[in-house]
Amino acid sequence: MFTNNPTHQSRDPMINQDNNPDSFTPEASLSAIHNTMSQAQSSMYLAGTATILLVWGAIMALGYLAEYTINALASDFADSNPWYHAPLWGGLVIIGMVASSIIGSRATKNFADAATARKAGLKVFTFWISVAAAAWLIPALSGLWANGATAEHTAGVAIGIVSLGYVLFGLMSRPVISILGVGIAAAFYVPNHFAGDTAYAITAILMLILVVVAAIWLRKSGIQ
Amino acid sequence: MKTEEPIDLNEIIHQPVRLRIMTLLVSQSGDSRLTYSFIQTNLGLTGGNLTTHLRKLEDAGYLQIDKEFHNQKPRTWIQATPIGRQAFAEYYANLQKVLGW
Repeated sequence: MFTNNPTHQSRDPMINQDNNPDSFTPEASLSAIHNTMSQAQSSMYLAGTATILLVWGAIMALGYLAEYTINALASDFADSNPWYHAPLWGGLVIIGMVASSIIGSRATKNFADAATARKAGLKVFTFWISVAAAAWLIPALSGLWANGATAEHTAGVAIGIVSLGYVLFGLMSRPVISILGVGIAAAFYVPNHFAGDTAYAITAILMLILVVVAAIWLRKSGIQ
Repeated sequence: MKTEEPIDLNEIIHQPVRLRIMTLLVSQSGDSRLTYSFIQTNLGLTGGNLTTHLRKLEDAGYLQIDKEFHNQKPRTWIQATPIGRQAFAEYYANLQKVLGW
């Protein structure tokens, strides 16, 4: 039995009045309820994230390696057809979105019934589709495309938005994803600033390494 | 001097592991079910420990356990019953009273 008189509480916040370690104090109970709720919600959102990160790591590496190869081996084609970036990245992003939806949906179904899984999946899907849309629309609406900005400038804005997406998603779930967001930005901006013609190849390798490390980290903390 | 009215906290729910199990279950909407593996992974429990506490909650009528096969693999589903949700709501209300909210 408890009263709402605080002097009846033990000094140890985790042990109750009867000094029974098998029971929480009321404060610890309330804190356990809130912690468990937020952890459950983020675990649901993170279903399949480790695998999804690997897929996106492969997609980004493939995209930047393709950019590097086209610039190195077919520079004439790249110069006369600057529009090639759009179908290249558009195709890769669509493949990534479809693969992520399938992986996320299957993973969530291992956690909860179909309706609960769908609800969690829809929230995550809406978040990332908004990030992807912003990464396409903001450069377009701000006039970067129309004013003949270079592919590097347009990609720089898009990568900044995607990185911000990772940072925000990490704040809602696991800090490692926020760190990954900062890493993705660095993996793009630093080589683009210093590495000249090999920048895209370095970005591809760095992004793949970052994503693999983050996926291993998540798997070790129980996120598949 | 005004004396404090003693408040009972449901002992079945007040146990740390069972409290977190019930929180996981009631934080889902109405008839939502969670898998055994989700609860185990989230709470970081051993199978034996989780099973013991689930049995106590099931005996109290607070949750329902169903075993089904999915792709020829057994899957255990756990769901809070209406009695369990009611007991948790009362526990939470009493907890707030104890804390003077």
